[in-house]
Amino acid sequence: MDLKAKIRSLSDIEKKTLKVLSREEKEISEISKESGLNIDSARRAVAWLEQKGFAKVDPVKTIKAGLTKEGKNALSQGLPEQRMLDVLSEKGMNFDDTMKKAKLSHQEFNVALGLNKRKNFVIISKKEKPMLELTGISKGFESEEQKELEKISSGEKPDSKISKELASRGLIEEKEEITRKVSITKEGSSAISSKEFSKERSYNIHEKVPELFIGKKQPYIQFLNNIRKKLVALGFKEMPERLVNQEFYNFDVLFQPQNHPARTWTDTYQLKNPKTGKLPKQERVNAIKHAHEHGGKTISKGWGYNWSDEIAAKLMPTAHGTAADARQMIEGVEYPRKYFVINRCFRPDVLDATHLIEFNQLDGFIVGEGLSFRSLLGVLKDFATEIAGATDVKFFPDYYPFTEPSVQLSAKHPDLGWVEFAGAGIFRPEITESLGIKEPVLAWGMGVDRLAMFKLGIKDIRKLFSDDLTWLRKSKMVID
Amino acid sequence: MPTIEASKKDLEKLIGKKFSAKELDEALMFIKGELDKVEGDVLTIDVKETNRPDLWSAEGIAREIKSRVGLENGVPRFKVGKSNLVVSIEKNVKEVRPYTVAAVVKGIKITEELIKQLVQLQEKVDGTHGRKRKESATGIYDYDKIKGNIRYYGADPRKKKFIPLEYKVEMDLDEILETHPKGKEYAHLLKGKKVYPIFEDSEGNVLSMPPVINSNYSGKITENTKNLFVEVSGFQLETILVGLQVMVMALADRGGKVESVTVLDSNGKKIVTPGFSTEKINLDPDYVRKISDLELTDKQIISLLEKARYNVKTKGKKFEVEYPSYRKDIIHPVDVVEDIIIGYGYNNIEPKKIELNVVGEELPERLFLDKARDVCVGLGLQEVLTFNLTSKEKQTNKILSKEELVEISNPVSSNWEVMRKKLVPELLDFLSKNKHAEYPQRIFEIGTTLAIDAKKEEGVDQSYNLGIAISDPRANFTLAKSILDAVCNNLNIEYSLKEIGVDFLEKGKSGEIKTSKGKGFIGEMDKQALSNFGLSTKTIVIELELVR
Repeated sequence: MDLKAKIRSLSDIEKKTLKVLSREEKEISEISKESGLNIDSARRAVAWLEQKGFAKVDPVKTIKAGLTKEGKNALSQGLPEQRMLDVLSEKGMNFDDTMKKAKLSHQEFNVALGLNKRKNFVIISKKEKPMLELTGISKGFESEEQKELEKISSGEKPDSKISKELASRGLIEEKEEITRKVSITKEGSSAISSKEFSKERSYNIHEKVPELFIGKKQPYIQFLNNIRKKLVALGFKEMPERLVNQEFYNFDVLFQPQNHPARTWTDTYQLKNPKTGKLPKQERVNAIKHAHEHGGKTISKGWGYNWSDEIAAKLMPTAHGTAADARQMIEGVEYPRKYFVINRCFRPDVLDATHLIEFNQLDGFIVGEGLSFRSLLGVLKDFATEIAGATDVKFFPDYYPFTEPSVQLSAKHPDLGWVEFAGAGIFRPEITESLGIKEPVLAWGMGVDRLAMFKLGIKDIRKLFSDDLTWLRKSKMVID
Repeated sequence: MPTIEASKKDLEKLIGKKFSAKELDEALMFIKGELDKVEGDVLTIDVKETNRPDLWSAEGIAREIKSRVGLENGVPRFKVGKSNLVVSIEKNVKEVRPYTVAAVVKGIKITEELIKQLVQLQEKVDGTHGRKRKESATGIYDYDKIKGNIRYYGADPRKKKFIPLEYKVEMDLDEILETHPKGKEYAHLLKGKKVYPIFEDSEGNVLSMPPVINSNYSGKITENTKNLFVEVSGFQLETILVGLQVMVMALADRGGKVESVTVLDSNGKKIVTPGFSTEKINLDPDYVRKISDLELTDKQIISLLEKARYNVKTKGKKFEVEYPSYRKDIIHPVDVVEDIIIGYGYNNIEPKKIELNVVGEELPERLFLDKARDVCVGLGLQEVLTFNLTSKEKQTNKILSKEELVEISNPVSSNWEVMRKKLVPELLDFLSKNKHAEYPQRIFEIGTTLAIDAKKEEGVDQSYNLGIAISDPRANFTLAKSILDAVCNNLNIEYSLKEIGVDFLEKGKSGEIKTSKGKGFIGEMDKQALSNFGLSTKTIVIELELVR
């Protein structure tokens, strides 16, 4: 960099520092005081100026005096000789009492007595015991030693004669200190007088700058928000999510018989506290009960067993998003309507790179006139292209206890290849007809975790709930 | 979902046709099967249909595909001869395991592959269909070792003795439950009963103690075995008959000759099993066309039905569809419709766009919560996401609280035994894992919390909370309150503070928050509580209910 460019690159703090230095060499604390910059800025400015060759830093050794422990004590309590004078009078006092009253140790007493005698402040009169009496000379006397201690403690230059004496008494000690004297260089002086100096600063734009951590939404939340927006754009209305559900909504409404193996404790969580909830209106409960027992209002045979409302009222952490569908159908559906939910779900599993014990499921259903299996495939194809950006789809026959026919959607993602993307079907008539919905209802559920992992660029599924702040700070915004 | 292993060669032999990899994939769709693994000749197939035990073996898969590819059609037929064997059910077994059904299969060549398939089928059927042997359990025996007729009765667990399979010494029934590996596994199905069920021949040789273990004498099948006795025991005739039929069909497909057995019940009833009966269901072809939205003629529908192993009679405009009685999955015409569509081929259907006049919308509370996120982001906070499942340690002990929590009865570990009631402990736990990251650390979370509430239908009160934690040596109550002000002002929430002690916050530098939306707390973390999370940097926290 040439000189002009260097001058142009000077920041405000460097310029202020340079002006202070143009008068005489300074320590950094002095620069800070005179320029009005805080100490950190002054330090930084000096470092930069030194780098540019405008200033020079020389270490200078100085001797500095400081108070010892005894010295600090003398400063706050008073010097022993003064303390002695303070308790004495012309009447006289014996040695022991003087020591006690003035709170002097033997050693301090001896020193104080020696000094005060030398200055003729006290005399010793002998009666039965030796007594100390004030002479009167000490009145109005100001102790130079005391003043010296105050001076040293506030960092002022000590008087060499008195300080020597204080040092010999062990009240002060002298320390060697290195101070950094900053002086302006020739180049620095010419910089100040140059025309460039008064112009606006220009930066070295290639230099590294400090990193800023901005406020940000969690990447998985961003992803789920994007999904939510897409579903709304496709005409879906959001249903409320529940983290705890009665088995009624998780299983019974969905026509899973109460002795079904999927309802045992190995596949789902159950609650210890609270254990049971309440069931909805009797008329709705009966509709479900009868569907299980003998098909209810439908031409189905049902499962042929005695349905228990005690089992149905048991509480559990929601195991799948379809439970929200069940609740909506029990509470009543608008017609026509497309519904969706993003529901936190729970399953007993071991947390590892491919399994979460807690995850989000995207589920929903569609009610309307003239819906069919063929239109279900149309909905799924839309999902694959609109949500996953798939280029091709494939359908596989599948099984769900609550849909018939059932289908699994595999989507071909340009980067991921073929991915199982959604499960769907037409809700069994035992469910919908029992609840008074006559037309076929299209139900679907989507596994969005693999898509989320791809969008977030992660291989370990636990990162969706990342506990690594640095990773979160560095994560990119999730665009779509 | 049952996972079936089968030899590809064996499968092709049973079907009578060779398959390319692609053809196999397509054919497996007919049984809702998906190829999970191919290792040499061994195929691992996931069969998604959990209500059709007849598909859970190489023989069953072959039986279905054979018809779908046009080599057979209609309901599978099996010839059943007659054996003179009688199984008598005695009265005292009724309260333990009341029913059994049985069959004899003769002249079968036992191969290694057959034994593998039999064991696999037995395992899958007893496991899933039989609810882990509780509802239905299968026993297969060397028929030639059985002398005379068979008694099925309840025996005294301490007196009756026999040598269990793969053992050399006689044990009493309780000993078997206590020492034999299978005994231990299934002991819970018999323990505590007065008598245990026993099959025994006329010479007093024990065949087995269902549903636990066969005897070593007759219950062992080897490649030298020629004739088989098969029995299924359980609680409902209908259920165990399916188990028996599925097993016998597999053996018949391998060339076995099936003979019936007479089962005499103590109440005098007599049944002859395995009866391969059929059932009927009415199907309206218009219903098929409505559900599928496919332009299918009646003739096409009939052809698809026959390929799916149904027999069809037309009755006016409607069909009477006949199906084997083991198809317990058929309870509504829609179950038949699915078989028709699968036969047509899901990937041969042109997906149809739906046209509904509806408008999408997010839940208003979701929108509100996202606005709250925007405010926090504006304050320069990083959002984090933690789990609802957590430990009592974090939610109570560490924050010096004794509150009741929503608790799981079957947790996988104590790390995930309760549902969180507060967000702040989870945020502190998050901070404890990030002590190496640059300070100040400023984080927030917006998420669900649960509290027990007997007044709610679900027994719990679910609330969306906002939690904030700022770890910064320079942070103090003033900063915390400025943040609370900013959040509440921007979200148009009015709040008031009360100087009520919060266990884990510093006295005099904390308070309880009350708003129209609910409660919360604010303050500087107490040093003890902070150190419980392994933290030492000064930390201020805020928690606020946003949506309830």
